[in-house]
Amino acid sequence: MKRVLGFAFLALAAFVAAGAVPGDESAMSKIFPYPTHVETLPNGLKVILVPMSSNGLVSYWSIVRTGSRDEFEPGHTGFAHFFEHMMFRGTERFPQEVYSQILTEMGADANAFTSADLTAYHLSVTSDDLERVMEIEADRFQNLAYAESVFETEAGAVYGEYRKNRMSPLFTIYEAIYEEAFKKHTYGHTTMGYERDIKAMPDMFDYSKSFFARYYRPDNVVLLVVGDIDVASTMASIRKHYGEWQPGYVAPEIPREPAQTAERRIEVSYAGQSLPFLWVGYKVDAFDPANRPRVAVDLLAELAFGETSEIHKKLVLDEQVVEFLAAGADPSRDPKLLDIYTRVKDPSKVDYVLAEIDRTVARYRETPPDGDRLADLRSRLKYAFLMNLDTPDHVASSLDRFVSATGGIEAVDELFLAYDSVTAEEVRAAAATYLSPERRTIAVLRGQK
Amino acid sequence: MTRASAALAAGAVLALCAVSCSAPDKEASVVLLPVPDDPTISFTVWFNVGSQDDPPGKEGLAHLTGELLAQGSTTENSYEEILRRLYPLASEYGIRVDKEMTTLTGRTHRDNVEAYYRLFTAAFLKPAFDDSDFQRVQSDAINFLENTLRYASDEELAKAALHALVFAGTSYAHPPVGTVQGLKSITLEDVKKFYREHYLGANAVVALGGGFAGDLAQRFEGALAELPSGEPKAAAGLIDVEPIERTKVIVVSKAGADASISFGFPVEVRRGEKDFYALWIANSWLGEHRNSSSHLYQVIREARGLNYGDYSYIEAFPEGGRRSMPPVNVARNEQMFEIWIRTLPNEQSRFALRAALRELASLVQNGMTAEQFELTRSFLEKYVLHFAETTRERLGYAVDDRFYGIDGEGHLARFRQMMRELTVEDVNAAIRKHLRHDRLKIAIVTGDAEGLSAGLGKDTPSPVSYPSPKSDQILAEDREIAVFPLAIDPDAISIVAVEDVFERAGF
Repeated sequence: MKRVLGFAFLALAAFVAAGAVPGDESAMSKIFPYPTHVETLPNGLKVILVPMSSNGLVSYWSIVRTGSRDEFEPGHTGFAHFFEHMMFRGTERFPQEVYSQILTEMGADANAFTSADLTAYHLSVTSDDLERVMEIEADRFQNLAYAESVFETEAGAVYGEYRKNRMSPLFTIYEAIYEEAFKKHTYGHTTMGYERDIKAMPDMFDYSKSFFARYYRPDNVVLLVVGDIDVASTMASIRKHYGEWQPGYVAPEIPREPAQTAERRIEVSYAGQSLPFLWVGYKVDAFDPANRPRVAVDLLAELAFGETSEIHKKLVLDEQVVEFLAAGADPSRDPKLLDIYTRVKDPSKVDYVLAEIDRTVARYRETPPDGDRLADLRSRLKYAFLMNLDTPDHVASSLDRFVSATGGIEAVDELFLAYDSVTAEEVRAAAATYLSPERRTIAVLRGQK
Repeated sequence: MTRASAALAAGAVLALCAVSCSAPDKEASVVLLPVPDDPTISFTVWFNVGSQDDPPGKEGLAHLTGELLAQGSTTENSYEEILRRLYPLASEYGIRVDKEMTTLTGRTHRDNVEAYYRLFTAAFLKPAFDDSDFQRVQSDAINFLENTLRYASDEELAKAALHALVFAGTSYAHPPVGTVQGLKSITLEDVKKFYREHYLGANAVVALGGGFAGDLAQRFEGALAELPSGEPKAAAGLIDVEPIERTKVIVVSKAGADASISFGFPVEVRRGEKDFYALWIANSWLGEHRNSSSHLYQVIREARGLNYGDYSYIEAFPEGGRRSMPPVNVARNEQMFEIWIRTLPNEQSRFALRAALRELASLVQNGMTAEQFELTRSFLEKYVLHFAETTRERLGYAVDDRFYGIDGEGHLARFRQMMRELTVEDVNAAIRKHLRHDRLKIAIVTGDAEGLSAGLGKDTPSPVSYPSPKSDQILAEDREIAVFPLAIDPDAISIVAVEDVFERAGF
């Protein structure tokens, strides 16, 4: 079926994750099949527990609500991601080698990632190692300690990560269009950061201490624990290991992006050989399940540009002028883009493809979508959600972006209800509001031939 | 054993017992993995055909045939209609064409199983072989080679080039997707003929997992009778891999590229054998995939910050940059030992190659210590639980067990058993028998082909410098690494332009 793009940063987020349960003990909803327990410690640390039968596995996520969005200080792009690497460099009590050895002894599947709105540290372990996990994770979040030389070495590894990414034309155009679309707001740079800032990272040892002190605080972190767990004993352990952690989160001063007043268009060159990529981004509101026009944007993206859309049939299947067509809007914390992007097979057809996108936009601004297609989409959202809840780690990764955007999982349930109630006319109205020329940025990437 | 891991192991045993209990006959054409409380159902059809069956000059025929089933119209529905019907189910199906096996897989919610089953089975029983669909999948495959593999993923390109070099001259050499000229020469008639010859009822096995009920399993197995009849062509058989007499290097020249390196050699050990599990322990210690426990990772990335990661393998591991656990349904009779050095600056590439070789040499010469062995085997005994957390993955392993002829509990259960039984002596004997650090094949994608080749051929020292201070121990090691002998004859190094790679079979 459709080719899967291996880029986490382009995930059509809203369409694979939705639904969960608000409230406290054992609240159940029609959608989410597992009970939840949500509790906030006195120091502000929010804990979300999702007990589920999982053959003895537990997924343990520490979600810091800080990502590249928070890199508002000039010269510090990419720092949230870089700092994620530093979190594996140990503490006085569990130096790096000891921390690594403990993970190895547990046979943990452990990793971390950074996006615009969050940094997530996740481990999948067996439930009899859960207590040990809480001990080492609580320790590193409170007592991280690393030498300056280690800090500088890690900067080299991060540069290596940039090297492997930059050969991708999709990454190149993604980086370029966001820089063009956001002149003030920090969504203008990618999570990797600018190459010049990555190069300068070895010199930012002192800054890293300040970064940790401001952002790695309990009032900016959510623990999400899913799997074969006992709620009472897990909560008791969390209180024991995290209870002394001092609050003190300092919110970043993120500049607001001024309203865009005219269409922007850029040409992006790519050093390798590539078919052209075309990317159109429309400014849309921040994620908010109570904002019905914004919820309608998620439906609009799929109805207008998804796999069963008219433009997909015309451009991908019948005329075969593009290789794929994708569209979606991140559930972001601040206003971001509805992204529509495609790879054009014939370099001379870029303007033609853009004209077809324009035609689609005009049609959806004028006419509500077909009711049967809207019903099919609702069914799709529901089953995509249900089918993705088969392991603790999948459950956690279905919830993380909602935690980062809103600080909890209540929004997921609201979103799902909203998907079911947004009307065809509201989808049309959302198109009329958001898909206007002065809100959009167009980027075309061409390779060397 | 711990409580939780015991519970998980018991679960795995029960599930796999269900497979063998349901299909005790090794030749039976169905694999069942019932998981009653799973609300989804996973489907697989495994066809005993792969890219090694591509006729010479038509490399990519197996791939295009498979893709046309997965991304094409059937005699019941146009492809557009198939997409429309799958859409509300949030379900898809996809194909993986590997060297020796082709698997069509899919998954749906049990609410939708009948609607999905009709679409899934029609995909392989009633392909329409529509010309427009054919042109689409053909152009996608050519674009993948010409643009994506050559220009957008140097690490995968180096791995594919290494594979072609190790299996040069055999039907294993070209990537499963084919070659540019091979793909261009394939016609729709070729595809139809390939389907008639290979997609036979006698050449297929169906596999079903999850919360299925009623007569679905019987119907699914019965569907095989609707495939073309006839005797499968004789299996391609084991290929004859040329022994490596001396180290050979292929340097892929790509303007502006940093260096991406892979190297290795064939290994004569198969999943299911005792030596395989012994070697897995050694390999895990040396280079566990995407894991900081990897020794190569610690030496090259952690201590020196040269790149993003460094890993090693004893089984095929495609798409390593995109997955953290081993893939399923890439079972192969021919495997190689392989080290993957992730992208790094050209000026540090020979140092990194030497560092990896030096660690491999040390492992071959000294074996593992008792302490390293104990830590690694206890790690793996639990880590293997993450290999197949979902029904779909476990079903994939069950199919692979059939490929490898692993009876009883299956590979994953045997894996854990072997972690408990093997000794450090077993592991070190396997290292001595199967691993080496000379007579290698090396593939490098680089923007400095001439300079790198000259440095490799002359074995000139490759010192490295850092932007930050390093310990005396690291610096002392660096001096040894910088002059570690590579022993590469200048005439064993070939440079190939990136635009020529996989244009046709061979370099």
